[in-house]
Amino acid sequence: MLQLEVNPAALDYSSETYKDAYSRINAIVIEGEQEAYDNYIQLGGMIPESKDELIKLSKMERRHMKGFEACGRNLSVTPDMPFAKEFFSELHSNFQTAEKEGKLVTCLLIQSLIIECFAIAAYNIYIPVADDFAKKITENVVKDEYMHLNFGEEWLKANFETAKEELQEANRANLPIVWGMLNQVAEDAAILGMEKEALVEDFMIQYGEALGNIGFNFREIARMSAQGLSAVK
Amino acid sequence: MFGLIGHLTSLDHAKAVAKDFGYGELAEEGFELWCSAPPQIVDDITVTSITGQKIHGKYVESFFLPEMLALRRIKTATRKILNAMSHAQKNGIDITALGGFSSIIFENFKLENSPQVRNVTLDFEKFTTGNTHTAYIICKQVEESAEKLGIDLKKSTVAVVGATGDIGSAVCRWMDGRVDVQDLLLVARNRERLEDLQGELGRGKIMDLTDALPEADVIVWVASMAQSVKIDVEALKKPCLIVDGGYPKNMGATLKHPDVHVLSGGIVEHSLDIEWNIMNTADFELPNRQLFACFAESMILEFEKLYTNFSWGRNQITLEKMDQIGGASVKHGFKPLQLSSI
Repeated sequence: MLQLEVNPAALDYSSETYKDAYSRINAIVIEGEQEAYDNYIQLGGMIPESKDELIKLSKMERRHMKGFEACGRNLSVTPDMPFAKEFFSELHSNFQTAEKEGKLVTCLLIQSLIIECFAIAAYNIYIPVADDFAKKITENVVKDEYMHLNFGEEWLKANFETAKEELQEANRANLPIVWGMLNQVAEDAAILGMEKEALVEDFMIQYGEALGNIGFNFREIARMSAQGLSAVK
Repeated sequence: MFGLIGHLTSLDHAKAVAKDFGYGELAEEGFELWCSAPPQIVDDITVTSITGQKIHGKYVESFFLPEMLALRRIKTATRKILNAMSHAQKNGIDITALGGFSSIIFENFKLENSPQVRNVTLDFEKFTTGNTHTAYIICKQVEESAEKLGIDLKKSTVAVVGATGDIGSAVCRWMDGRVDVQDLLLVARNRERLEDLQGELGRGKIMDLTDALPEADVIVWVASMAQSVKIDVEALKKPCLIVDGGYPKNMGATLKHPDVHVLSGGIVEHSLDIEWNIMNTADFELPNRQLFACFAESMILEFEKLYTNFSWGRNQITLEKMDQIGGASVKHGFKPLQLSSI
């Protein structure tokens, strides 16, 4: 999204400070796409009638991952994968637990809504400040992510009445984790020219739109998307 | 369908109404919450004209707060407006008015250069600043209130503060072309623009604020940014009519004198049937009977099916366009707000 006063020319992509921050942000993105790949395959097992589509989505995520690995190489940055694994561990564990318990709605909320919305928000905020190589790759990725978000929205919309309560519960349990994750990387993101405030707002726009498409009214949306927001400070 | 992009008047106001927007438990959160809050459609509106015609609209809360400008959070402020515009467009609104500070921010920070908001390309044809209707209403407020006060405009001096702005310049054109006031005092910060306006009008005295005010029988205040200007009420002419078309409107509270009459400018009264809840959160004496003229413009454009950015850019408002919007305004039941007691 537009950031009027950010001048990408002011960013030194080859500086040690930038590369150090990029090693974590890049790792998170790579790990995020890997998690998404795994999650869509597992979701395919839970929704057999959509298995083919979900496998297609998972392959896209794998392609994104490779694209982002190339972005790191382009800047001669080694992604800090242990940091990224730890970063996703709580959300990862919640998805696995929900999958074991057969809680499809919770799994969809974590992957198709929360993770996709965050990816879209982060990529949209990143694009104006990215290096030229990463910008092209990210622009293409973000188009795919809208499609992925749409899959979850459509399924949840079709099953809104039965899914509503579980969605609210899963939101309550998982959204604060995401806000916490955001706080962990706010400083690194700022070094890359991405402001936390803009990230949060963009996320809430995407997430709110998704919840609206699924069937929630605006008060429910505000309540849900603000859940845990006080932890963002 | 018409749309209105609005915002709250201050952080305190936001806290007071947070519950209405679903942020109840966060009401005590500070300024940062509102900096991150996404735009919301908070009301569906149905309006019935005095002609019987019925239209539907939506109110988009941008969550912009004036403190964002005061604290120089310019990026935040501009993001709020662009996101609200994108939200309006995505929701299929045909014509949306940029209310309050929205149009000022749009113009001052040249947001026409930023039409791409994520995956939405803003179609500026779908938006209007509402300035033509606001300027028309302010002019009518001046005409009607001056008459009530016994001020003969043809023999009077009218000072326009903020004369070079979009609304200010339109008011000057009207005061010259339609009212033919005796003297027109042009007050603004930018000398070059003032000279351009003077050249266009072929009249008008360029003056400093402090010199102009004591000479004016009527002061039209349409300066676009909140200014902490102290006005010496004793130095003003008596009687003096002040139409406060600035934002926010706070002159009425500060200027107290029996012969100085302050009228909130750019506000219409109406006898239309408007079904909405959101106006209860706004700062009107009679929320069901008053609204900003800029908002009314989008309703008028919807009534008339004029799906175009009727008011756009700077200094584009002609007398003909003011006549056109004014005629439709009267037709559908809007009236300029008048002095409540004289």
